[in-house]
Amino acid sequence: MFDEMLDGPVLDGSGPDGSGPEAREPYRALLAWLHDQDFRKLSKQSLQAEELFRRIGITFNVYGGRDGEERIIPFDLIPRIIAASEWRRLERGIVQRVAAINAFLADIYHRQEIIRAGIVPSALVHGNKAFMPQMCGFTPPGNVYTHVVGVDIVRTGPDDFYVLEDNARVPSGVSYMIENRATMLQMFPELFASHRVQPVSDYPKQLFRSLAGCARSFIDNPNIAVLTPGIHNSAYYEHSFLADEMGVDLLQGSDLEVRDGRVIIRTTEGTAPVDVIYRRIDDEFLDPLSFNPDSVLGTPGLFDAYRSGAVMLANAPGAGIADDKAIYSYMPEIIEFYMGEKPLLDNIPTWRCSEPDNLAYVLAHLSELVVKEVHGSGGYGMLVGPAASKRELAAFTRKLKASPASYVAQPTLSLSTVPVLTRSGLAPRHVDLRPFVLVSPEGIRVTPGGLTRVALRKGSLVVNSSQGGGTKDTWVLEA
Amino acid sequence: MLGRHADNLFWMARYLERAENSARRIQSAFLHTLTQRAEGDEEWAAIIRSTGKSDAFATRHESVSMTNAIDYLLRDKSNEDSVISLLANARQNARSVRTALTQEVWQSLNESWMTCNTALKRPVNIRDLPSILENIIKGSSVFRGALYGTMLHNDIFNFLRLGTFIERADNTARIVGARYHRLLPTAAGALGGADQSQWEIMLRSLAAWRSYNWLNRGHLDPSGVASFLIFDDRMPRSLSFCYREICTNLADLETEYGRTHASGQRARNVLQQLEDGRKKDIHRIGLRDFINGFIVDNNNLSLTIASDFNLAP
Repeated sequence: MFDEMLDGPVLDGSGPDGSGPEAREPYRALLAWLHDQDFRKLSKQSLQAEELFRRIGITFNVYGGRDGEERIIPFDLIPRIIAASEWRRLERGIVQRVAAINAFLADIYHRQEIIRAGIVPSALVHGNKAFMPQMCGFTPPGNVYTHVVGVDIVRTGPDDFYVLEDNARVPSGVSYMIENRATMLQMFPELFASHRVQPVSDYPKQLFRSLAGCARSFIDNPNIAVLTPGIHNSAYYEHSFLADEMGVDLLQGSDLEVRDGRVIIRTTEGTAPVDVIYRRIDDEFLDPLSFNPDSVLGTPGLFDAYRSGAVMLANAPGAGIADDKAIYSYMPEIIEFYMGEKPLLDNIPTWRCSEPDNLAYVLAHLSELVVKEVHGSGGYGMLVGPAASKRELAAFTRKLKASPASYVAQPTLSLSTVPVLTRSGLAPRHVDLRPFVLVSPEGIRVTPGGLTRVALRKGSLVVNSSQGGGTKDTWVLEA
Repeated sequence: MLGRHADNLFWMARYLERAENSARRIQSAFLHTLTQRAEGDEEWAAIIRSTGKSDAFATRHESVSMTNAIDYLLRDKSNEDSVISLLANARQNARSVRTALTQEVWQSLNESWMTCNTALKRPVNIRDLPSILENIIKGSSVFRGALYGTMLHNDIFNFLRLGTFIERADNTARIVGARYHRLLPTAAGALGGADQSQWEIMLRSLAAWRSYNWLNRGHLDPSGVASFLIFDDRMPRSLSFCYREICTNLADLETEYGRTHASGQRARNVLQQLEDGRKKDIHRIGLRDFINGFIVDNNNLSLTIASDFNLAP
């Protein structure tokens, strides 16, 4: 098991004062600092940080939780540190991958060369719920489909990074990246004097610029707005945070109206136009006339206004076809096809259970594998073989046999660990990383760092906040 | 500004003002109950009656007592005007317009909701009641302070203030209306002990007991109390004071948006009626009709504001 802080075996409950293995290079100064800390005081500060989050209202709603219950995502105050050289490698790989994703989407919604070339099967695209025929033949402003992408990355060794999944629809978590940093700056200013950490706080400004850059093909100085499903959405805090930081309106579908082909909002002074919508609602809820007729979140006529060029939607409807877990397994080929080069970041080997040979292998090795629903997210509907009981394995065997095409399987990776502060001292816990990527005709920009999610339960590999995960501040050091 | 945001702000301010007013009424009734045991339960029934909740209350409790009235007014979630419901609604509105509020304003509201939620988790122990009420009122003060100290004094601010003063005027008018007969001169002109205590409750529930006494050197008379609560421009909960503020904020909006609105004229009319009333003998204005008319006008103004500024979809 690879620990990102320590060279050598890590024990549960080793105090910051204890002697143990040496720190890896990027963590030397941090470990020295930890040696000087009063452990109990650190724990107290950890509670203070969570209290601060609660007061500020950095909360999320758990679906199906007790009436409107709001929780905070636990915050661990030991930062995760990435060296400049490690980051450069990651950044190149991410930019390549996101460029390929956009090329793939442009192709899928136009000539479909990749299907003609026999690389991606037609059925996988046309039979996919995330594929949106209404988008065929339409080119979004700036030819950008995924204005914001979150690429989930895991690490298994000093040089071994894998992309776990791509989030090309409405990736969330960026507000935690920014608030975690703000909290660390407030609590431990001295650490930022001894480390040169690349900043993340300008993300909202970059997002604004990136969106305006995409819209430049039809308007200068656009009126940008954030579209939220409303205060009961689990990511509502983030929606309001981004609108606030960008200085734009936070809208709900019912605020928008399509009048004479233009998208407007009703204001206290009459009406005002909206040119760019950074929407944080799913495709099917955008417009009841074009998609889900039962949607009460959407705006009738919005999609037609989009297709006629009156408004830009970010991300483009139909972008979800690129982050589908079955498409994921083709990403190495997709990157080669459009970029003409080998992928710089590895995919995790993936068995598509729709293929009989794969299914047979997966059923025979279920207890070693992670099985995911093709369309699932949030860590729901997932089987972690090595941690599953006999009964769970049997239940999943039945599900796989009943609907093999709904599942993919991957080897259980030994995810890297980073220490967290526990009641009994420092303890290693598994982490992943979601860097945030902005795409515009001017280029692809990755904010240095991202959201580190950590599985707070000992031994757990599931980092989702809905499943007991927490977050950490993520530092990318200056070169 | 988005019409829905203005609506959220307007109602957020109304909910908060209502919660504060409710806490003050409970405070004064509680004091009264402890000192004048005989009339105690009747006072609680009067509060519930004046909020128009007698029927709803009857479905929850068999009879009115101090304990169940306090429970209903403070922490019953089935009562949309209980303090806990009002704070939850105010906070929900604030969350919807987070981008329009400063961090300090939002935090003051969020914190008072958190404190109140914890304090009202279980039925209230009478011993804790004074500090719980004090905290509710203090939360309101902190909110007001943050509002004045950190918000731009622009249309956002104007909509918040309009909500506050329309709600406050309604509250004062209802308190006076519920006791107008006690404010009428008696044949003998004498002040019974029971009347005295009624005026005291009324003044205390409007945070005006001390200021009234200070202005009148302890001399209580019914017409004095009535004109103080209705016409005195110095008294921040009088109808005149509220309408001066309402007119100022509507005038600000007219300047800011560069056009006039029906609501501006309506508010000026109400203020004029108050000015006219002040000049007359309080015994001759027909107190009951005057107050009832005011409550209707005030409510109509609220509706006019909603249609003038696209408040409701």
